[in-house]
Amino acid sequence: MSRDRDRSLLAVFTREADLVGALGVLRGRNLSCRVYSPARCEEALAVLGLPPSPIRFLTLAGFLSGTVTGFALCAFTALRWGLIVSGKPVLAWVPFVVVAFELSVLLGVLSTLAGMLLLGRLPGRRLPSHYDPRFSSDRFGLLVRPGPEAERVAAELRDAGAEDVRDVEG
Amino acid sequence: MAQTLTCAEVDAQVLRGLAPAGRGYWLAVSLCVAGILLGAGCWAYQIATGLGVVGINVPVAWSTYLVNFVFWVGIAHSGTLISAILFLFRARWRTAISRSAEAMTVFAVMVAGLFPFIHLGRVWLFYWIIPYPNQRTLWPNLQSPLLFDFVAISTYLTVSALFWYTGMIPDLATLRDRGRGLRGRVYGLLSLNWSGSHEQWHHHGWAYLLLAGLATPLVISVHSVVSWDFALALIPGWHSTIFAPYFVAGAIHSGLAMVLVLLVPLRRVYGLEGIITGQILEQIAKTLLLTCLIVGYSYAVEFFLAWYGGEASELGTFVARARGHYSPQFWLMLGCNAVVPLVCFLGRVRRSPPALFAVGVAVTVGMWFERYVIIIGSPTHAYDPYTWRLFQGPTWVEYGVLVGSFSLFFFLFLLFAKFLPCVSLAEVKGELTSSAAEESP
Repeated sequence: MSRDRDRSLLAVFTREADLVGALGVLRGRNLSCRVYSPARCEEALAVLGLPPSPIRFLTLAGFLSGTVTGFALCAFTALRWGLIVSGKPVLAWVPFVVVAFELSVLLGVLSTLAGMLLLGRLPGRRLPSHYDPRFSSDRFGLLVRPGPEAERVAAELRDAGAEDVRDVEG
Repeated sequence: MAQTLTCAEVDAQVLRGLAPAGRGYWLAVSLCVAGILLGAGCWAYQIATGLGVVGINVPVAWSTYLVNFVFWVGIAHSGTLISAILFLFRARWRTAISRSAEAMTVFAVMVAGLFPFIHLGRVWLFYWIIPYPNQRTLWPNLQSPLLFDFVAISTYLTVSALFWYTGMIPDLATLRDRGRGLRGRVYGLLSLNWSGSHEQWHHHGWAYLLLAGLATPLVISVHSVVSWDFALALIPGWHSTIFAPYFVAGAIHSGLAMVLVLLVPLRRVYGLEGIITGQILEQIAKTLLLTCLIVGYSYAVEFFLAWYGGEASELGTFVARARGHYSPQFWLMLGCNAVVPLVCFLGRVRRSPPALFAVGVAVTVGMWFERYVIIIGSPTHAYDPYTWRLFQGPTWVEYGVLVGSFSLFFFLFLLFAKFLPCVSLAEVKGELTSSAAEESP
């Protein structure tokens, strides 16, 4: 039983459409799947039905914290100086908008990247042992946990157009 | 686009450029290094002799160094336009050129960032201009356009570099998987051990979209802020509400021209005609035509405002631009920026890479002179006639530094083209696979 849980099948496809077809069948049976591709594969992501990435909340949080930081920095420095410059009041909010906007974008971008690294588990300590270097070039990979139906799933993957199906750890 | 290619062919064509360099490459690198040494030598001479060796005087406080600064910041604009704004508009033709355009952006901002240092007499005291709290508890005045500029450009450099790198992570994984030895390990480190799993693509796609969304208003804001360095000063020819859109349009105009100057030779030397197709160059030419019309309109509106406003000093400044001391530079600017690109209305010009290269060179020259006419022409025809026609530069030192800045820019681009993929492999492959999916029954 535990051997079945640790065992996965890795199918290598030459065509994205074949992979998407096989993925649809396997996901229909609630099998756990992971896709490897050399480019973003919209159809596979649609079949996998992933929810929108929570990165957008981090972006918003970073952006708003940048806005607050920008205005706070401007107000703090203006109050420390405390003199009227160019006829503007000490707390001249309109020119502060420029600095607040730039800091909003900066912190929004930094938090977006932090979110991508965190959620995408980057940088990884090492590549998965089953990783095939062709996945960054011109091949598509489908990693499936077949459970007790390994033979049947392997046959289905071959029928779907996989050029290679092998047992891997993972 | 490159529908007839396969993913493997895209890899082969693009990565061929990363093979050991030939004689032509080393010749180009040598020329650039010679130019950099010339620029560095002129700067060293300026440091040793004093700022008097350049044309700095009371109305023209930065001489042509401010011209160069604004020029290079402007060049930096099209990279983000092509990579971010066109990405949001789903303009597919950007895919093959976005990487090079982003690289151009990063290098142009880096070169621009040198000029605040170069214009300093005692550069080793540069840290005095960094806004940090000192022992007298004086803080920088964040109401000043110069501080706006510092914040905007440093943000732009950071965001552009991160946006460039984020898009490149999957391609670095491709290089890692093909590389051996030290080179493979370095690419592996830079790729962050990217595996291309669907989770990574999912979050990467969202991050890229959000970065594009954030970079788009940023790119508009940065050159607006640069323009406010001038527009917030009470000098005829500078103090105008048209400056922000006028500068942004000009920046995009110059950036598109530089894209043509870089890409036309690149696609020829690297044999990338199948990926950076003639159709893509034609799209760049059409966009250049659009910015040419906006820039030409802005020139006309500036004169109209000066006449319609009825302010004698303002009108005098603009009449002096057309008929005075700086009229050769003005007419050169007008011809190169607003007239020469009109040839792109002709289809055969848009389809001819050498002609587009020539247009790109003309606009690049014209945009440098636009900055010259605005930045030097205005304070030397301000309210007080004592300032008129005072600028005697540029001197040979300034020309040397200008040559050095161009050499450094092209040198960095040559390094990029030899060590990193100059076309976004993942995005081009994404276009290929999505086109194939659309065509399949």
